[in-house]
Amino acid sequence: MDDAALRESLHRAGYIADEALATTLWLAGELQRPLLIEGDAGVGKTALALALAQSQNRRLVRLQCHEGLDLAQAAYEWNYGRQLLAIRLHETQGDKVRESDLFDRSYLLERPLLQAISSEQPCVLLIDEIDRADEAFEAFLLEVLADYQITVPELGTLKARHIPQVLLTSNGTRELSDALRRRCLYHWLDYPTLAREIAIVRATLPGAESELIEQAVAFVQRLRKEDLSKTPGVAETLDWVRALHRLSFKALPDDPAQLQHTLACLLKTREDRFQFGPDKLRQVLEGRRHEGVAVKSVHAAAL
Amino acid sequence: MTSAPSLLSAVGHADPLHSIAGFAALLREHGMKVGVAEQQAFVQAALAVPVARSAKLDAAWRAIACRDARDWRRWPELFERYWHPQRLTGTVRVSGQTRPSRDIRQVVQTLHDELGDSAPKRDETRRAMDTALSAAPAAGESQDDAAARAQGGASRTDALHDRSLSEWLPQDLSQLELLAERIARRLRQRLTRRWHDQARGTRLDLRRTLRASLRTGGVPVNPVWRAPRRERPKVFILVDVSRSMETHAQLFLRIARAFVGALGARVFVFHTRLAEITPLLQRDSSAVQEKINAVTAGFGGGTRIATSLQDFHRVHARAQLTRSARVWVLSDGFDADAPECLAQELAAVRGRGARITWFHPSPKVPASAAMQAALPLIDRFVRLNSLRDLALAADLLR
Repeated sequence: MDDAALRESLHRAGYIADEALATTLWLAGELQRPLLIEGDAGVGKTALALALAQSQNRRLVRLQCHEGLDLAQAAYEWNYGRQLLAIRLHETQGDKVRESDLFDRSYLLERPLLQAISSEQPCVLLIDEIDRADEAFEAFLLEVLADYQITVPELGTLKARHIPQVLLTSNGTRELSDALRRRCLYHWLDYPTLAREIAIVRATLPGAESELIEQAVAFVQRLRKEDLSKTPGVAETLDWVRALHRLSFKALPDDPAQLQHTLACLLKTREDRFQFGPDKLRQVLEGRRHEGVAVKSVHAAAL
Repeated sequence: MTSAPSLLSAVGHADPLHSIAGFAALLREHGMKVGVAEQQAFVQAALAVPVARSAKLDAAWRAIACRDARDWRRWPELFERYWHPQRLTGTVRVSGQTRPSRDIRQVVQTLHDELGDSAPKRDETRRAMDTALSAAPAAGESQDDAAARAQGGASRTDALHDRSLSEWLPQDLSQLELLAERIARRLRQRLTRRWHDQARGTRLDLRRTLRASLRTGGVPVNPVWRAPRRERPKVFILVDVSRSMETHAQLFLRIARAFVGALGARVFVFHTRLAEITPLLQRDSSAVQEKINAVTAGFGGGTRIATSLQDFHRVHARAQLTRSARVWVLSDGFDADAPECLAQELAAVRGRGARITWFHPSPKVPASAAMQAALPLIDRFVRLNSLRDLALAADLLR
């Protein structure tokens, strides 16, 4: 599958990727390298992994990172309860228990990383928000990402049957180590262009009026240029357009008061809500009148 | 098949591996971490992409080479600059600088021809590729050549960029000005040459005495005396603004600017060549850095300290480099010129009587090959990484 076909299939799975992203994804598969995706919250990093798994008909194994994530939660853990039970069982039956009986694959609880490595079918491994895990865990990941293997001291090294396609996402809350970055391909996912965002909303909400979509997306794009403490991502745009659609708007109303209460979908902090009073809102709304022509040309260029 | 590469090179297209290695060298020089592994990945990507879609390589290589958002944003410019220099209209370009034209499609085509098809030869070619990739920078053409050599350290990729020196507080600025004043006062003032034989006392000013005597009918009642004249040494500040010094140049230029105000120093910037920026610094403007960037934008990559120094003492400061001159070089000492050149040029500057002080941002005295030879010619090494360093150095500068 080449990159154009990949882009096509992502599109079918509901993810509108631009050309560069499709090429990068394709290359990551070709070179069998993990892909590190960075970008602001809500630009569609996680959605990309979901769509990739869906488009290639693969299982998605997801590891959500958080502070204090350790090996037992990420890779594997021995099922102590079952092991104890087995010992007791053997005792009552009067036979000897060998250690190799207890440290068998059947007593191993597979956590996401091991699941991805030992999966029978090729899968997509999503390591979400890697920047939230601590550095020690990052170091452990190196073995997995470089050689696609996990070493369990009692069992030996487990090698991947099928090399999973690995996606790592990061919000940049912490600087990742160079060693990790070196092993990955890198892609910076930016907020989508106007044309792409319109296409995304259209694909997700086929029922909405296209005039509403265009105006609403243009509004969000202008909103992103404002000084906000939390810039709305694509997910917020989708929520908002969905809300407007439910409220059966055909186009953005001229009266900002009607929009005021729907802004909860876009502005997620108190300061931002406070900042966007009716006057400010009207100002951003008005922007669309002078922008028509320029937006059209951008629209054409991006498509 | 064998004729294709030779034909290409006859036309003037370099070997694809060389082109890629040259590109990697450019990226390295701009602080990206592109090693042999990444270069190999470049080649692999080029092999994986069909020739007809070679334009895809932009995105593919970007994913391989970039490590963070900063690299990501810088990529398009670097890519264009290397592969499509003709498209870069509107940027400053120094005349006479020729750039080899490179065609990414040709590179992919040649790679496919050479390495792509013949499976049994693959190992061999892979090995050839490795050696070519590691040797290529040394064997490249002149521009690539200089750029590659500069990597010896001049392109260290330190992540100091996030420690912002550009956030200057007003009190820092005033402190810097005070420091500059203090250093200016401490610089030893010398008697001008005619006063040397009578350092103490005064001398009769005959002309003015005669003129004054007119008032008293020609009798010199009130003789006029001349006081000895003392001059401040002339100070020349040479600031290295190459990529390796990118993070320090801000600080250095600020400091240089303070000295322009305090003692009328002349300031030059250099990386591959030298330009005087004193007039830019004389005016008080927050956009100094941008102006300097504009001045140096057309310079090629790398650092050519020796060439710049030669230009400095032969052309720019020819008449002013006298016994009392002080030459302050602000650089990390990584030179892309041949190592012995730097010592020669410094010796020429010394020969004019100037004293050379070398300010280096690193904690240790620079120890590159060029600097080793030049060590005895330099009066003093001073570490300069912050205002505090400058304050410490204030007592040493005479």
